[in-house]
Amino acid sequence: MNQSLFEKMSKILLPIAGKLNNNRYLQVLRDAFMLAFPLTIFGSIAVVVANLPFLDKVMSEGSLNTLRTILNVAPQSTMGVMTIFVVFGIGYYLSKSYDVEGIFGGAIALASFFILTPFILNVEGKEAVQNVIPLDRLGAKGMFLGMITAFIAGEIYRAIVQKNITIKMPAGVPPAVAKSFSALIPAVVTLTFFLVVNIVITQAFHTNMHDVIYKLVQAPLVGLGSGIIPTLIAIFVTQILWFFGLHGQIIINSVMDPIWNTLSLENLNAYTETGKVPHVISKQFIEIYTVGMGGTGMTLAVIAAILFFMRSKQMKQVAKLGLGPGIFNVNEPIIFGLPVVMNPLILVPWIFAPMVVTFVTYLAMSSGLVPPPTGVTVPWTVPIFINGIMATNSLAGGLLQIVNFAIVLIIWFPFLKFIDRMNVQKEQEESAKQAS
Amino acid sequence: MKMKRILLACSSGMSTSLLVTKMQEYAKSIGDEVEIWAVGQDQAKKEMERADVVLIGPQMSFLKGELQKEAEKYGIPVDVIDMMAYGMADGKKAYEQALTLMGEK
Repeated sequence: MNQSLFEKMSKILLPIAGKLNNNRYLQVLRDAFMLAFPLTIFGSIAVVVANLPFLDKVMSEGSLNTLRTILNVAPQSTMGVMTIFVVFGIGYYLSKSYDVEGIFGGAIALASFFILTPFILNVEGKEAVQNVIPLDRLGAKGMFLGMITAFIAGEIYRAIVQKNITIKMPAGVPPAVAKSFSALIPAVVTLTFFLVVNIVITQAFHTNMHDVIYKLVQAPLVGLGSGIIPTLIAIFVTQILWFFGLHGQIIINSVMDPIWNTLSLENLNAYTETGKVPHVISKQFIEIYTVGMGGTGMTLAVIAAILFFMRSKQMKQVAKLGLGPGIFNVNEPIIFGLPVVMNPLILVPWIFAPMVVTFVTYLAMSSGLVPPPTGVTVPWTVPIFINGIMATNSLAGGLLQIVNFAIVLIIWFPFLKFIDRMNVQKEQEESAKQAS
Repeated sequence: MKMKRILLACSSGMSTSLLVTKMQEYAKSIGDEVEIWAVGQDQAKKEMERADVVLIGPQMSFLKGELQKEAEKYGIPVDVIDMMAYGMADGKKAYEQALTLMGEK
């Protein structure tokens, strides 16, 4: 592949990547999910502790149940009501991106979301309970309605603030007082809009926005995202972007994260309730089984192959440099140093290996051989094997990574050997030149 | 001699931090007084204020246009780090690239 093709492709890809990365809504969405991230880590730790595999051997069933009940509060108040944080985050960051008061934007988005939420719990075969908020509507089930509502609420709010239809206070009024009044009109208009929407939906159509969005938008999108084919396409595009030197995840994840995160939440809810996991594909599937093996492209196996089996000095130097970061799933040294970027000799294993491994992992998990990730959040910098065990709450999850590691190594080996031979030859010629 | 302040921007500031250490080591070895630090893309615009030059990780090269617009306010140069220098964490090469951009070499 020559330089001009690289430049041509870059010219096409760069603006697309830039647009996706800098898109206001995707940026806000990314930040909003980041807001909830530390909370989900807290909830995850509690789930991991409550489900440690040896607990049933050292504790009686009664005390184990007590332990689970008291710890279960942690995931319930974080991941269980994740939509609240995302809604607030979107309202806040969207307003901030327009340079209007973020905290009001967040509060208004949250209130708008609550207006559309039915405060009623229907239990099959029993009388409906009034004046309660069903927990699942604040978690995975309400995620898409939450995101849509927060964006619309934020847009209405900031548009009115920017039009300056605020109540002006005379000089001398304390700034905090003036501030609370200045948010009045935008808040009232925005919330009125959602109130009217809710009245129409509940009175004219006898349903609620939660069920409408869930059935029309969330279920189809999430269903699509949980399939293996769309997942393989996402992996393929990520690898291609990195091949051209662009940060694949930043671009792909900003589109896929809402779906993958919703799948994770559904998994976690089911896992804490029943111990079973409904979806194989989720955020953790992507993070632990495609990135969590030494970074994008699972390059820890590549580093091992070079260190143990290759002779080229240049490659060994890159591998040594890449080993430390690689253990923690950072692999820029390999991507830019080996290099992977625009290296036609590496294109095949670079794209092929992750897709094969993703497919093998999917088969292993959907067949029941290895349990799928439970939905607990494991930071992407946790090393291979440990992250696999943590994510699936099973030793099998770590062992599967070892198998995957071997697959990557085998796919890469002939290509690395070929490059190694070329490099060794070049290095010998160079040292011969220096000697003469 | 004036202190040189070099800002590195990448996706989360994580992968670039390795290069920062290497650049600091090299600058120290040639007796330059420097402040070099790495940030994620969302902080880059804010941190720019304190910098003399901004270097972008090659995987975030699509940020260049946007950051350049912001950098014009402060009149500081912005460029993408040389790929090989980035991959090999070549502190010397990256540091020299920064100096060239600042017009000190």
